[in-house]
Amino acid sequence: MNRDRMPPLALVLTLVGAAAMVAPLVWTVLLSLKSNAELLQDTGAAFRGPYTLENYGAILKGDMVFRWLLNSLIVSLGTTAGVLALSSLAGFAFARLDFPFRRTLFVFVLLGLAIPEQAVILPQHRLFAWLGLHNSYPGLILPGLVGSFGVFFMTQYFRGLPRDLDEAAALDGASTFQIFARVLLPLTVPAQATLGVFTFLGSWNAYWWPLISATTSDRFTLTVGLASAQANYAQTNGLGYLMAQAVFASLPILIVYVLFQRQIVNAIGGAVK
Amino acid sequence: MRRWLAPLLLLGSCAQGPDRTEIHLQRFFGDCSAEYGRSLDIGGAEGECGIVTTLLNRFRAENPDIELKINIVAWPGYAQLAAQMAANEPPDLVTMHQGLITDYQTRGLLQPLDGVLAQAGLQPADFTAAGQRGVVKDGRVYGLPWDTVGGLFHVNTRLFEQAGLMEGGRPVLPRSADELLAHARRFKAATGKPYLVQSSVNDPATHTRNLYTYLLAQEAVIFPDARHVRLRTPEAKRVLELFRTLEREGLTTTNQDNPAAIASFLGGEGGVFPTGTWMIGPFDAEAKTPGRPLYGAYAVFPYPRLFGREASFVDGHSWVMPRRERTPEQEAAIARLLRFMAERNFDWSRTGHLPAVQAVVDDPRFRALPHRADIAPLASNGRLLPPYVQRQGAIEGLIGEEVASAVAGTKSVDRALADAERRVNELLASTL
Repeated sequence: MNRDRMPPLALVLTLVGAAAMVAPLVWTVLLSLKSNAELLQDTGAAFRGPYTLENYGAILKGDMVFRWLLNSLIVSLGTTAGVLALSSLAGFAFARLDFPFRRTLFVFVLLGLAIPEQAVILPQHRLFAWLGLHNSYPGLILPGLVGSFGVFFMTQYFRGLPRDLDEAAALDGASTFQIFARVLLPLTVPAQATLGVFTFLGSWNAYWWPLISATTSDRFTLTVGLASAQANYAQTNGLGYLMAQAVFASLPILIVYVLFQRQIVNAIGGAVK
Repeated sequence: MRRWLAPLLLLGSCAQGPDRTEIHLQRFFGDCSAEYGRSLDIGGAEGECGIVTTLLNRFRAENPDIELKINIVAWPGYAQLAAQMAANEPPDLVTMHQGLITDYQTRGLLQPLDGVLAQAGLQPADFTAAGQRGVVKDGRVYGLPWDTVGGLFHVNTRLFEQAGLMEGGRPVLPRSADELLAHARRFKAATGKPYLVQSSVNDPATHTRNLYTYLLAQEAVIFPDARHVRLRTPEAKRVLELFRTLEREGLTTTNQDNPAAIASFLGGEGGVFPTGTWMIGPFDAEAKTPGRPLYGAYAVFPYPRLFGREASFVDGHSWVMPRRERTPEQEAAIARLLRFMAERNFDWSRTGHLPAVQAVVDDPRFRALPHRADIAPLASNGRLLPPYVQRQGAIEGLIGEEVASAVAGTKSVDRALADAERRVNELLASTL
C-alpha cells in the first residue's frame, strides 16, 4: 500500500472534519459582507447576494482603528521578542548549567503552568498600578514575558541537543555564553519559530489583561478597541459589522498561520507525540 | 517611575493651555466616529451611539474652556471601571446602569451628586419617579438619571386584526393570565402563528425581566433583605406556570435567541414580542417601509397588567461620578456637563428609552414621537429592585437560567424556583 495515500474512510472523515471547521469561518465572512439592515430581517440572507464592503469601510473609517492595530503589533512583537530571549536563556540555564536549587526552581516553573491568569490578576493589577504602568506598552508586554510554557518548552529542547556540542566548544575555548549564543542557540531555531508563533498568536488574541490594564482608548489593543466600538445589541442591530470586526481582527493571525504553518503543524504534531 | 512621570504630566497639561479644565468621561454605547465623529447635528443622529456622540460633540463645541476627554469602553465597561478604581484612576463621569449603582455606592466608590446637581441647577424632583428611584440611595443622589429602560409588548397589529384582537384601531391586550392564554389560543387558531415571539435562548435578562415584572405586579417581596431572595412563593410559581403553559401549548416561539426572535417578529411570525424600549426605533422604521411584513402594522405598549397592579421592572442608564480628588473647577465643569445632558434628555429619548427628566415626559414634542404616548406610563409605573440589593447583574443571570429551564420544561417549576433561590442566596452570602 502506498504510504502517501490516505485510506478513503480517513479521507472522508478528514474532509467532513475540515468542512465542519471551515463552515463557521465561511459563515462569518459571508455575514460580514451583508448590510446590517438585511441581516436584521433574516440572518439567512448571508447565503445570497448582493454583498457589500460597507462594514469593512465603517471599521476603517474609525478614528482609532489603526492606532489599535499598531498597539497590537507593538505589544505582540514586544512580547514575542521578550519571551524568546528570556525563555532561551532560562531554558539553556535549566538544561545545561548546574546551580543551587535548579531542580526546585524548575518545579516552580512547572507549577506556573498550572496557575491560571485569573488567580493572580488582582495582585498583578495592584503591582502594575503601584508601578504606574497601566496604560503603557510595558504594562501590556511585561506580564506576557513571565509565562512558564516558554521556559519549559525551551528547556526540553535544549535538553534534547547533544552535550558533545558543548564539550567540543569548551575545548575550543568558548565561554558558557558563547556556547549558548554561538553553538546551541542557532540549533533551536525550529523551537524558537514554534514558540514565537504561539506567543504572537496568544498575545494578539489576549483580551482579559489588556481590558483592565489599558483603560484609555489610545492604549487599547485591537481586540479591546474593536469590542469598545460595538454598539449595544450589536449582535442584533449590527451583525454584519460585528462579523467584519471579527474578520478584520483575525487577518493578521491568518497571515501568521499561512507564513508559519509548517512550524505550527510541527509543534502540534510534536505535542501529540 | 513616578518621579519622571510627574514632570511629563506637567508638560502635557501646559500644552493644553492654562484656561481649560480637563474632565474625563467614560461611556459605553459603542463608537460611531466614522459616521458621527465631527457631527453637531443632534437632531439628525440616530441610535444610542449616534445621539450620544453628537451630544458630546456639541458640548465640546459650546464649551471651549472645558477639555472633555472621552473614553469609549467595551459594553458594559464595569471590568474596566473596577480596574480603574483599583488603580485610583477612575474617570470623572461614567455611564452606569441604575441597578448597579448600589454595588459601587455601598463601597464608597461613588461621590454623591447632591452638591454638583445643585450647582447645575438640578434637583431630584426634576426627574421621573423611576429615575429618582434609580439614583437615590440612602437619601442621597448618586447619579444623573438619563433614561428608563424596560420591557414592552411590541405588537404586530395586522396579525392582531386577523385574530379579531383589535378594537377601535388599537390592540386588545389581556387583563389577566387566563385572558392572556385565551387570547393566545384564539390568535393561534386564527393565524396559525404563535401569539408570543420570545427570545428564550442565551437571554437570561428577558426571563428575569418577565418574572420580576409580574412579581412586582403581585406586590410580592422579592428581596426581603439585602442577603436573601424569596422565590419559592405562589406568586413566582404562578408566573412561571403561565410561561410554561404558553410554551407547552405552542403559543410562543421556541429555541430562539435574540437575533432570531427579532427576525421572526420582523418577518410577521408572531403577534407580540416582549422586548425592550431600545427596539422601538428599528421596528418603527420597518413599520414605515412599504413591502415589509410589519409595514403599517406596529404598536407598542408596556407589559399588560395580568396580576394585581400596573407595574414593570425597569432599569435605566445614569451618569455617576466616581470618588476621587477634583478641583472646584472640575466639579463646575462636570456640573455644566450634567446640566447639558439633562437639558438634552429629549434628544436621548429618541433612542426609544423613556426620558428620566419629568419635563421631557410631559413635553408635547416627546409625546409626538412615535408610540411614546403609549409607553409613557412606564416612567411612573417602572419599578427597580430595592436599593439595598447588590450584584443585580449576576443575580439576573442566575435567575434567568433557572427560569429558562422551567419554561423549556427541562426542570419542574418548583425545582427551578428552589434552585434559583438557593443560588442567589449563596451569591449574596459570599458577597456581603
